[in-house]
Amino acid sequence: MTQQSPANVEFRQVGKALTRTDAPGKTTGRTPYAGDYAMPGMLHAKVLRAPAASARLKRIDASKARALEGVACVLTGPDLPDRLAPTDIPGQTGQKRMDTGQPILVRDRVRYFGEPLALIAAETRDIAEKAMELIDYELEPVPGVYDPEAALRPGAPIVQGKDNVVASQKMRKGDIGKGFAAADLIVESTYTSQFIEHAFLEPEVGLAWVDENEVINIRVATQVIEHFRGIADAIGVPHNKVRIRGAMVGGGFGGKEDVTVETYLAVLAKHTMRPVRLEFTREDSFLGHGKRHPFRMTYKTGVKKDGTITALEVRMLADAGAYVFLSPYVLLYAAVAAPGPYRVDNLFVDGKAVATNNMFTSAFRGFGGAQACIAYEQQMDEVAAALGMDRIEFRRRNYLKTGEMLATGVPIQSAVWTEECVDRAMAALGAPSEAPHPAARIGRGVAAYQQSYGRITWLHDTSECWVGVEVDGTVVVRSGVTDIGAGQISALGQIAAELLGVGLDDVVIYNSDSAVTPLAGTTTATRALYMTGNACRMAAATLRERLVERAAASFGVAPGDVDMAGNRAFVIGRPDTSMPFVDLVKLCAADGVHRSELAIFRAPFTDPIDPETGQGQVHPDYTYGAHAVEVAVDIETGEVTVLKSIGAHDVGQAINPAAVEGQIEGGAAQGQGYALSEEMLYEEGRLVTPSFSEYLMPTSMDMPLVQSIILESRSGLGPFGAKGIGEPSLTPVAPAIANAVADAIGTRVFELPITPERVVNAIGEKQGVQT
Amino acid sequence: MLGEFDLEIPDSIEEALELLAADDAPAPLAGGTNMLVDMRAGGTRPERVVSLARLEGVRWIAERDGRIAVGGGTTVSDLLQDERIAEHGASLVGAARVFAGQMVRNTATVAGNVAYGSPAADLVPPLMALDAGVTLMSKSASRTVPLADYFTGYRQTVRKPDELIAEISWPKRGAGMADLFYKLARRKGDAITVTGVAVSLALAGGKCAGVRIALGAVAPVVMRARKAEAMLDGQAPDAALIEAAARQAAQECDPIDDVRASAEYRRHTVHMLVRRLVGQAVEHLR
Amino acid sequence: MAREKTLTLKINGRRETATLPSHRTLLEALRGMGHVEVKSGCEKGDCGACAVLVDGAAVDSCLTLAWTVEGRAITTVAGLGDADSPHPLQQAFADTGAAQCGYCTPGLIVAAQSMLNDNPDPDEDDIRLALGGNLCRCTGYTKVFEAVGQAAMAMKARGGDS
Repeated sequence: MTQQSPANVEFRQVGKALTRTDAPGKTTGRTPYAGDYAMPGMLHAKVLRAPAASARLKRIDASKARALEGVACVLTGPDLPDRLAPTDIPGQTGQKRMDTGQPILVRDRVRYFGEPLALIAAETRDIAEKAMELIDYELEPVPGVYDPEAALRPGAPIVQGKDNVVASQKMRKGDIGKGFAAADLIVESTYTSQFIEHAFLEPEVGLAWVDENEVINIRVATQVIEHFRGIADAIGVPHNKVRIRGAMVGGGFGGKEDVTVETYLAVLAKHTMRPVRLEFTREDSFLGHGKRHPFRMTYKTGVKKDGTITALEVRMLADAGAYVFLSPYVLLYAAVAAPGPYRVDNLFVDGKAVATNNMFTSAFRGFGGAQACIAYEQQMDEVAAALGMDRIEFRRRNYLKTGEMLATGVPIQSAVWTEECVDRAMAALGAPSEAPHPAARIGRGVAAYQQSYGRITWLHDTSECWVGVEVDGTVVVRSGVTDIGAGQISALGQIAAELLGVGLDDVVIYNSDSAVTPLAGTTTATRALYMTGNACRMAAATLRERLVERAAASFGVAPGDVDMAGNRAFVIGRPDTSMPFVDLVKLCAADGVHRSELAIFRAPFTDPIDPETGQGQVHPDYTYGAHAVEVAVDIETGEVTVLKSIGAHDVGQAINPAAVEGQIEGGAAQGQGYALSEEMLYEEGRLVTPSFSEYLMPTSMDMPLVQSIILESRSGLGPFGAKGIGEPSLTPVAPAIANAVADAIGTRVFELPITPERVVNAIGEKQGVQT
Repeated sequence: MLGEFDLEIPDSIEEALELLAADDAPAPLAGGTNMLVDMRAGGTRPERVVSLARLEGVRWIAERDGRIAVGGGTTVSDLLQDERIAEHGASLVGAARVFAGQMVRNTATVAGNVAYGSPAADLVPPLMALDAGVTLMSKSASRTVPLADYFTGYRQTVRKPDELIAEISWPKRGAGMADLFYKLARRKGDAITVTGVAVSLALAGGKCAGVRIALGAVAPVVMRARKAEAMLDGQAPDAALIEAAARQAAQECDPIDDVRASAEYRRHTVHMLVRRLVGQAVEHLR
Repeated sequence: MAREKTLTLKINGRRETATLPSHRTLLEALRGMGHVEVKSGCEKGDCGACAVLVDGAAVDSCLTLAWTVEGRAITTVAGLGDADSPHPLQQAFADTGAAQCGYCTPGLIVAAQSMLNDNPDPDEDDIRLALGGNLCRCTGYTKVFEAVGQAAMAMKARGGDS
């Protein structure tokens, strides 16, 4: 379901909802995922995990397991070189990483429930499982800490560093004291969010083997093939001796951004010199990758009676779990996002990410920006209510506008269509629904946002793409980009097809091989289209120039008079003067014209921001938009039903509108789960929601039909003016739902998820009645 | 992965009962949608399993002697396809619709849902409110037990190791009767029940009769709220009486705290849902 | 008794023989026999990625012991159609963009086909109910509902012609 504007009249391939190149393979079951590969003589691996969150490994003895028939290899911490697992942000930049200090396998200290103790490779999965039970080990409990506030107290058990603080982030702008002094009204609230699991349907999986050149090949489900460097460093081989071959990825959402099975596979393959396959069970997956950071966010907003925000003070505390991973970056994103898409002249943000013995936390779609939105958009509703002002009107008086400065003191690069998005989303809610039963109350909510696309600019991000034409007029695109389901590679096909005047069916795309496809960076940070799409556009544009020049020579006109479309080159305005594209390519081949091009796209490069003020450029650019919902709340049971869910986003330029809708619809579902039903629960660090029976993401019975409103300012930094939509589509959904529930029941649940029980309790508190 | 076990797959119920009569008490496996999950998790590790998946003549729905009966092999999906069930067990259809997902409904059996003995079993509250009986069969004997007496404790039932559920039956819907079910869970599709309430009652001369209130997931077993039922039986149900009975039901249940909800919340929702369903049943019949 | 036996499974219209232990699930058996279009997502019946048709009704192959379906007609998503001759559901899922990462897609298509076998004219509620056991993390289901509705119409139209 979509409303779209405006028509893409001048494009021939871009801007159309073409059937994605990956769709036929996926719908017929032909597409091989990383777990679908097998090799002769392949071993099956398992990971033994610690059943304690904070302990000392006193001893581990794998001799019985090694003696079991069919066991090829058992590795424990002492069997491995004393090296660290690769855990930091990957890239082509050589920038120093923030040390996480996690060994590949536990050597001494267990810091989280499920931390790997041993690796097993055996002839069959049955034998590997049996061997796992034969490993003898002793864990001595060590006092742990399971709450970030407790972890900050003097005398708290130390999990990381000297004081458990793994990152701090400040933002300072204007004069916060003066800002509050100028306020007519000050509102302060604390909002909390929970651990969230990515719950991609494909658990982590890979297959590794050592080839005839001593290169460790790893076929793996990952968002990031460029972890090959970190893996090589971890196992002590040169970077060119590890090759990551991707596959279509069965969902990522940030959960396949860090290394998952790769290092285990590498050491097992190197040790056994046989192919080794490791597939996480769902339980392994829940224990095996980092979660979304729970945040505790206190917002204090000063406003004038006319609705002008005079000051904003924000304190954020994030649970980093047992190891650092991407916590510093997530915290940075949250701090930068803290004021939202609003003008705040006097800003004070203090954020901390703190280590505990909970599961480590790392990247998740929205990456701190989503957590901040949960706070700032609920706060906007609360302030509006305190002012007695309509909540849309209050927002309208404070929106950042095109051309203004960000809170980090740099100008916004692109159009800011927040107002249009909010208004369109609200209008699309239409007439209020009838309450479905006497105990139901209808409520509405909206949330706007500002979410970056592209990586942090001091990472000096680049992306490469190669485009070539075959002599039969077909097109080949090669790029290392991984496709995690959003249509990343199909979009490259559409871009190449647009520039070369061919159809999408004429393009084949090779991707995600760290050794043979040009390195494109990560599929993270809503950067794949922005970065690799631009690289593809550049390569295809250069190739187009050469082809057009050759065609112009044949036609006896200037290159500027030639266009290519419908698999033909022709003179503009003289369609009879034309030749088939294939003939043009043959002419080029005969003349030795270079029929391929490798391009590199560079994002803006900056120095890091001022650590004391947070001032400076952090991201290349931002996407703006809104999500509006209507809910029915059963005030007796507390159940929330989402009746309408509408995303309106300025995506700059939709390359494939169906794929954009897919992001908005999927973001709506993930955001709904975030708001209402999903939570990874840990008791003293132990996961008590270990499967999809306890971890509840929305099903077909829970989701309304999501409506997508695609606005196109064509102002973005991506190809054809595109912005990013992968993360932005999710960011406003949970706070919109929280606001709708508050609207329905006249009081607010400050903690996510908004469970039926919390709704009932909030209503009870409002009524002063013990339920 | 599942651990190893011996597996036998008989074709007939007689053969299955013969196998179950063995001294080593093999585990019967119906649809397997609960038990295989337990076995994979290592919660139960039977040495010998008798699969009921290929028994012939056990998957049926019949109307006889004023009762509706379903065979031991009838699946949850079968309940959704049958007009007799729709007419004489609307609450059961309601429960079947919110029972797991399609694939599980296509495999799980009504008898298996009862036999497993979970307090959160979705079909049990409506069946109990419909006053169902369970016919157990062994190699040598057959007996029928009221479902309300079937459960003896958490995951404990009166079924002996050599018995199978041959059929489950309940009286056809009488004149002036209504039956309703509501499953409260943390999401709408495929979720474990937080509170399940089934109500069956008749209205005769403006007064309640045959009131049965069954509560799921709020005690070690699915239970009848008998004191609440007694408050309504023979009385003209006004709002105050319904409220009092609903409060009584909330008193009678014995819920626990778990990852899904607190005991306190479960008790609250028993109160709310009993009040709502009794009210709806009365309203429907008036 | 033996804990391993050789059995013949009827998969996508072909008879295939495999020697399998008694505890092998149909999911493990099918993938081991090369039918890797059947996906493993949770191995406990929560996600539906492994759904296959057994005699026309969708089941979670992870909760089905391979020995118990000997001789039954087992259909995976690959048995419904292929790229050259796609099944209307496969065509509609591709056309609408209902497959994103695609990992849940085989299970969704199989579950939808199972519903259409009983109910060729489903409304949106019927579709929601039929797909309630198939988790999808990418799409939010909106395009999935659209695809199933489109396919049902196409199949009815096709059925009407013949």
